[in-house]
Amino acid sequence: MSFSDDEEILEDFLIEAGEILEQLSEQLVELERRPDDAELLNAIFRGFHTVKGGAGFLQLTPLVDCCHVTENLFDILRTGKRAVTAELMDVVLQVLDVVNCMFQQVKDRTELTPASPALIAALEALVAGEELSSTPEHAAAGDDITDDEFEQMLAALGNPSADASNHPVDETGSGVDEITDDEFEALLDTLHGAGKGISQAMLQDGAQLQSDESIIVAAEKGDDITDDEFEALLDALHGSGKHQGIPDDVPAAAPVKPQASKAADKPIAKPALALVKSNPVPEPVAKDATVETTVRVDTRRLDEIMNMVGELVLVRNRLVRIGARSADEVLSKAIANLDLVTADLQTSVMKTRMQPIRKVFGRFPRVVRDLARSLGKEVSLELHGEDTDLDKNLVEALADPLVHLVRNAVDHGIEIPAVREKHGKSRQGTILLAAEQEGDHILLTISDDGAGMDPNVLRNKALEKGVMDRDAADRLTDEECFELIFAPGFSTKTEISDVSGRGVGMDVVKTKIAQLNGSIYIHSKPGQGSRIEIKVPLTLAIMPTLMVMVGEQAFALPLVSVNEIFHLDLKRTNVVDGQQVITVREKSLPLFHLKRWLIRGEAAVAGESAAHVVIVTVGTHRIGFVVDHLIGQEEVVIKPLGKMLHGTPGMAGATITGDGRIALILDVPGLLKRYAG
Amino acid sequence: MSEPIRNKIHSTQEQVLQWVTFHLDNETYGVNVMAVKEVLRYTDIAPVPGAPDYVMGIINIRGTVISVINTRRRFGLEDQEPTDNTRIVIIEVGKHVVGIMVDSVAEVVYLKQSEIETSPTVSKDDSARFIQGVCNKNDELLILVEFEKLLSQEELEELSQS
Repeated sequence: MSFSDDEEILEDFLIEAGEILEQLSEQLVELERRPDDAELLNAIFRGFHTVKGGAGFLQLTPLVDCCHVTENLFDILRTGKRAVTAELMDVVLQVLDVVNCMFQQVKDRTELTPASPALIAALEALVAGEELSSTPEHAAAGDDITDDEFEQMLAALGNPSADASNHPVDETGSGVDEITDDEFEALLDTLHGAGKGISQAMLQDGAQLQSDESIIVAAEKGDDITDDEFEALLDALHGSGKHQGIPDDVPAAAPVKPQASKAADKPIAKPALALVKSNPVPEPVAKDATVETTVRVDTRRLDEIMNMVGELVLVRNRLVRIGARSADEVLSKAIANLDLVTADLQTSVMKTRMQPIRKVFGRFPRVVRDLARSLGKEVSLELHGEDTDLDKNLVEALADPLVHLVRNAVDHGIEIPAVREKHGKSRQGTILLAAEQEGDHILLTISDDGAGMDPNVLRNKALEKGVMDRDAADRLTDEECFELIFAPGFSTKTEISDVSGRGVGMDVVKTKIAQLNGSIYIHSKPGQGSRIEIKVPLTLAIMPTLMVMVGEQAFALPLVSVNEIFHLDLKRTNVVDGQQVITVREKSLPLFHLKRWLIRGEAAVAGESAAHVVIVTVGTHRIGFVVDHLIGQEEVVIKPLGKMLHGTPGMAGATITGDGRIALILDVPGLLKRYAG
Repeated sequence: MSEPIRNKIHSTQEQVLQWVTFHLDNETYGVNVMAVKEVLRYTDIAPVPGAPDYVMGIINIRGTVISVINTRRRFGLEDQEPTDNTRIVIIEVGKHVVGIMVDSVAEVVYLKQSEIETSPTVSKDDSARFIQGVCNKNDELLILVEFEKLLSQEELEELSQS
């Protein structure tokens, strides 16, 4: 994988994770207010999970570790095994700070500083279900600590003249300076003597950290610190600090809220900051020079806009029609203007939904490398046309089929180096993954210079599986043989590996591509390799169709499946086994009357003498549909049928024609399944 | 005291609900005004082949495709040719928006909660399920329909599953 690819993935991760982290801090705060909100918990869980996933891909191990434990914790929380408490939140927020810090380091391309073991340990303890008993909790619980005392404590810890709300880390440091090392040691000794819960490792850790931090961390961990000890601790701090009593200049607006519990958050927040500071890393300067130029928009909103633009186009069409009738020059000029602007608007809206296919292609170098290595093959992957833009939904929908096809190419296509040498090829096989725009659709090709497919092997396989008999198999053209691999349960591999050979993959690929109104072709030459071509429309929102009339109603047939149209003398049909057939260029195709299927009460009309026939392709078969009239080709905006009718067999959706009427878009495979079966 | 103010006072004492009334055959029905999005004149409904028989088809409302229910058939009445008075009431049922075809739409009435009685018949009849209550006003029986139940639970589930 080249460096630039990595860089792009990293860039994507930074955008995505940055947003998630921003959300997380909001969500975590929200969680404190609504600790029982299951959705919120789930959202936070997902947030950490996504960051972990992204970080894992980029091998940012410290970040992964940190997120992983947190994710575990939220998994427990969302399943209700544990309740959200203030102490828990403190730790989690601390984690978020650490994660944010690491994130900044990723941004600065510097080495990551792992989270302090103490923090991870605290998290793990939480996951394990232990109760944290932290100093602030005691403070909150201890009735004998008044607000004033708290302020004193804060004052002693920090520089009292500063606004406590900002808590600049440096100031924490200066506050720390007031406690000498000896005093700190003594403090630790006191804690150590009393608190059995403090492990040796913790202490060592603590000693390396800044003093105030270790007090808190130690106190947090030390389950055995009693209120009295805490008091003693406070006293010790008081004694050592220069500031006795409440300094007069403590700002009234200091965030030390009347509730002790709120105030208790403060000392905890500081160690996190101290942690950040103690890292030998440039300070995380948030929101620096790079201004974000992108906005993330919910695709549903884009769909809405798309829908409205579709409406606008229809209105425009109507206006254009009216304008053509009137002789008013001013009107027709205005309409011509509207025409242009609408067209531009439509293109622009379409473009907002477009994404470069690089999003999908980007993952392949890794897929290929890992797979090739595990199979002991040498494969180089070439990518072409990564900048080709296509609809976002398509980009996502294409990912799985492409992964499958590429894996197939590595597994089935490319031979092992020794075999390749024997055949006079270079040891290294090449897979080419290319995308290009071809008119109103996108052409994706996956080609390899591997073994290719032998039509005869496929024929035999079909016989073996009982898919067809010998005669039928022999009559198949080579192209039709290749199509066989799309049949469910068809695999030429005799052994099933964990990579491929189960015979489900290609079937799924074909179905998926068909769902996208796309088509897939295979070319292959034994010994020279295979080439798989996928054609998908530029966008899923607009579909080219052939409009036909059946009875009084308009129907739209997806143009991708339409093969040819002709006028037919219906007397020249034959009936084979109860099925009307026509012969087109020496091939007999079944003929169906759409009217009998789609119009009520027309199930048994007498055949007219002549009719329009539309030949459509369904999978590998071709069939003929008899329709009343042909209207012509029309680009339509697909409208869902609504909840009530969604899933009606044979209907892919509806659309609104230029004159405001509704036309149903036919789903040919569904139609056949429902009516012809 | 003017009318709206009195209404307001009523509502503080007792909940006053507004109902859009419509006719089907010789009966008057009411549907909660909060569920009604709009009332349309009859337009051509495009039938959808393969749809359930109580769905008449789909109509286009400003770019949105909405299914229309044959309310007569759903209520166990004979089909009738649409007339000048025929209306399609667009209602929101849960998250679904559907149109119901009715013979005519009359008015909006204000009913106090106390005026609404439970349905007199406790039949297990298909149509009884979605009757929320009845109300006798001005010697006329108003049948209050809960359309969430009209699209019975199973059907709704069936629809959202498919």
